[in-house]
Amino acid sequence: MKTLTISKNHRTVCIAMMAIGVLSLLATFFGADDELHTRFWTNFLHNSVFFTGIALMALFFMAASITAWAGWYVVFKRVWEAFSLFLPVGLVLMVIVAIGNYVGYHHLYHWSDPESVANDALLQGKSGFLNDNWYLLSTLIIGGLWYFLARKIRSLSLAEDEQGENSFEHHRKMRIYAAAALPIVGFTSAAMIWQWVMSIDPHWYSTLFAWYTAASWFVAMICITILIILYLKAQGYFENFNRDHLHDLGKLLFAFSIFWTYLWFSQYMLIWYGNVGEETGYFLTRIKDYPILFYGNLLINFALPFLVLLRNSTKRRNGTMIFVAVVVFLGHWMDIFQLIKPGALHTAHELAGHAHDGAAAEHGTSVTGFIFPHILELGTLIGFVGLFLFVVLTILSKASLEPAKDPYLQESLHHHV
Amino acid sequence: MATKNKEILFGIYSDEEELLHAVHKANDAHLVIWDVFSPFPVHGMDEALHLSESRLHIVGFIFGLLGTLTAFLGMTWIFTSDWPIIFGGKPYWSIPAFIPITFELTVLFSSIGMVVVFYTISGMGPGVTNPTLHDRITDDKFCIAFDASNLSEEEIDKRESFLKDSGAEEISTKVI
Amino acid sequence: MSGHYTSPIRDPLIEGNKTYHDITVDLVAATERAPSRAWWIAFGVSVSFLTLGVICMLITIWQGITSWNLNRTIGWGWDITNFVWWIGIGHAGTLISAILLLFRQKWRTGVNRAAEAMTIFAVICAAIFPGIHVGRIWVVFFFFPYPNTRGPLWPNFNSPLLWDVFAISTYFTVSLLFWYTGLVPDFATVRDRAKGLRKKFYNFLSFGWTGSAKHWQRWESLSLVLAGLATPLVLSVHTIVSFDFATSVIPGWHTTIFPPYFVAGAIFSGFAMVLTLMVITRHVLNIKEYITIEHIESMNKVILVTGTIVGVAYLTELFIAWYSGYVYEQFAFFNRALGPYWWAYFGMMACNVLSPQVFWFRKIRRNIWWTFFMSIFVNIGMWFERFVIIGTTLARDYLPSSWSYYVPSFVEIGIFLGTLGIFFTFYLLFTRVAPVVAIAEVKHILKSSGDQYVHGHEQASATAEVVEGSQP
Repeated sequence: MKTLTISKNHRTVCIAMMAIGVLSLLATFFGADDELHTRFWTNFLHNSVFFTGIALMALFFMAASITAWAGWYVVFKRVWEAFSLFLPVGLVLMVIVAIGNYVGYHHLYHWSDPESVANDALLQGKSGFLNDNWYLLSTLIIGGLWYFLARKIRSLSLAEDEQGENSFEHHRKMRIYAAAALPIVGFTSAAMIWQWVMSIDPHWYSTLFAWYTAASWFVAMICITILIILYLKAQGYFENFNRDHLHDLGKLLFAFSIFWTYLWFSQYMLIWYGNVGEETGYFLTRIKDYPILFYGNLLINFALPFLVLLRNSTKRRNGTMIFVAVVVFLGHWMDIFQLIKPGALHTAHELAGHAHDGAAAEHGTSVTGFIFPHILELGTLIGFVGLFLFVVLTILSKASLEPAKDPYLQESLHHHV
Repeated sequence: MATKNKEILFGIYSDEEELLHAVHKANDAHLVIWDVFSPFPVHGMDEALHLSESRLHIVGFIFGLLGTLTAFLGMTWIFTSDWPIIFGGKPYWSIPAFIPITFELTVLFSSIGMVVVFYTISGMGPGVTNPTLHDRITDDKFCIAFDASNLSEEEIDKRESFLKDSGAEEISTKVI
Repeated sequence: MSGHYTSPIRDPLIEGNKTYHDITVDLVAATERAPSRAWWIAFGVSVSFLTLGVICMLITIWQGITSWNLNRTIGWGWDITNFVWWIGIGHAGTLISAILLLFRQKWRTGVNRAAEAMTIFAVICAAIFPGIHVGRIWVVFFFFPYPNTRGPLWPNFNSPLLWDVFAISTYFTVSLLFWYTGLVPDFATVRDRAKGLRKKFYNFLSFGWTGSAKHWQRWESLSLVLAGLATPLVLSVHTIVSFDFATSVIPGWHTTIFPPYFVAGAIFSGFAMVLTLMVITRHVLNIKEYITIEHIESMNKVILVTGTIVGVAYLTELFIAWYSGYVYEQFAFFNRALGPYWWAYFGMMACNVLSPQVFWFRKIRRNIWWTFFMSIFVNIGMWFERFVIIGTTLARDYLPSSWSYYVPSFVEIGIFLGTLGIFFTFYLLFTRVAPVVAIAEVKHILKSSGDQYVHGHEQASATAEVVEGSQP
């Protein structure tokens, strides 16, 4: 089938998932949380950052593929276009967090608390960047810029389908926007990651952090690409997505999982080796208080994809690929979880006047949902997945699934590894 | 090697698509091909000749694993048992520090192992001379070769006419 | 590889309506004729630089490191700068061979052979420095771990300097194996056209290659796996080199972004050196139809991308230095830009960040003269980058009373010039002995990328205009 029709079933399932998400969030807020609602807000931030990042990586990879004159993926390029158009939704979610800095309904960021900043020279030094105004402004401006680029590439892609001819004029324009998108996303994603994620631990820093987080987003993006395409294929769409396309997505999953591990190791080993107290505290907290998350991260996001996807045959089997994609998707969701939760819990303790010695359990504040994702975290994830799917399916239904006049279509249809 | 003395009947082609087509026709006619030669790998030839998949990657994996274990276990023994010294306040069994060398030796063993096995099982090596059927095979000609050592006149004729019909521009025999 | 379907938007990668035989003749030509006068002059110059280098190395070994200007606190100067510079240059070859193979970029076939050769020569030049900078080169075998009667005395596996020994040995070996595997079929091509002593020579080198289908199958499988191994290897080598700095606690050195930033910088300088060599080679050997403007443009794009990544890394370091609130880190960068080596810093910024921006313009990416001069700038810039990292940091570290300034001695300069001599001598010899373009691989892409099969989008649109224009 050439055009996607969203069946009643699809709609129902997505809405049900979103309902589960809303219920989980409400249950967290009103039931299983401290007075600062840390668990609720970390869940909200975690998932918002995660899915916004996936959307951004889809834009980035599409731009890279266009600039590199790649043709193999064109048969499913609409999927990445749809992912990138989730950006406005993600940014609305982040704006909610940004406004929260002002009105104080969350206390995710230590640097947003005036009293803390007044007593802390380090936070004062960073306040030129870590402040409520800039957080909101940058989210709006940079987010807006990303959305602009995603929309531009999408509209050119659709226009090409209507009016494309032998001069490949639309593709030429797309190459210009794609080429511009690469350094823009490269620079700005780092700034936003520092702002949204790294500043949760405001006394710590790592120059590699942005690339590490982006790599995590990227692998998650590839995983959910595989899952959505295989699902739609089972429904009768994407008939021309063949085993070789799947193989290539599997290679990307494999290769970038190794790349993510390389970045993980670089960051960890250099901080371990230098043994500088200001840096090592970050990992010490995670190893001591969040060990399952910490080591599980490596196991799921390195050992599993490496061992399973090393062989050619596994990358060509639907079942194996679905299994690996689901597990690694959850794995990287957990990676972003452990980037956010420990620091936010520590901030909450500081703000609630507790001493900070890392043994969170002794504070009497429940650590359910912090040390390891619990049922409400999973419920929230389901909600966000439902939202993401709803947006993506809606956008996919707005255009033909196969870009008829894309100059690489024939190459993609005849794709053979 | 000296007692080989095979008699090879071969045909020379100028185009790889013609060559591939000829190989398919040979399969249909149940003529067993001894070997096919080309100046570059021809897409689709492996399937046409029903070549079993190369297992070099398994060799690579095994040698690589050997490298991993050699490096990691070696360093572990040296730094915990044979020569334990405190370097920079790090523990004796400093796993993160062992990773780079472990990785390098994995790649080194894997590469050397695969390359040596590749040349050995292909009968190649420094200074080895293998008989070539035609000097332009490594230039721009393609070749289908039959082993005609113990074949009757009739069988040889069958192959010769096959070669001619499938477009061979030169048909010849050579003893190797 | 995908079948022969090629999108009409792509430009041809082989020009001149070549047949397979044309490809053979064009690409073995340099190995079959006597060197030209230009070659002899270049060779003469290279060998004299090489000789200068050898003399300076012998002086270093005889007199010791006192013949250099290293002193407190600058323990590393031109030696390690040059070491990192050469390793970086070597990265392009492996990237072109391995990573571009995995990404199925057909244009790599025009440049991969020469780039791989360049890698091997660059690594040889790089490896000289760890060898001669130890002071007692006659016991340099102490580096290697083997059971011995000195205690036993083992090397320090915890040290990135030893990781380097393993990384560079592995890199050299694997690159050599990868390069040679690709060369075997091409040596066979030369062998089958040769007579007499040359035939014997190439017979030895071609290992008995016959062109059998089974061998090609294994060869392709081997190339793919080696490519799969070489990719993480090339990342790991410059990563481990970056660990030489990043595992320390020195401000400006101890920063987690060093591994991928060094790798990006290495690819950046490597491609620049490939371009420098290719621009000259394609002209002198008359193989512009195989190393086309498409190849040049693709490499310039890689330079733009990796240069931008390096720029992102610079900005990240600067920003995080401020963000960290760590005064020594902040000083390290202040000192780089405004301290005694400010000229090196500005050279680095101008050459690495500013100048590659010209490649945003298509006309410039496709211009040979711009390409040639840019490639030299980039390599100068990357040399300055390593010098800035090493020299400025060591000249002004924690204790102001220890601050000093470093200027290389003539012996150090001579060694560097010597490595340039070694590199170009090897390269010039390579162009005479081996085909500089991968013959078999180019033949493999003829039907999908030759200009008689692929017309390119400019021609396609011209055709379309003609057709439209002729409508009544």
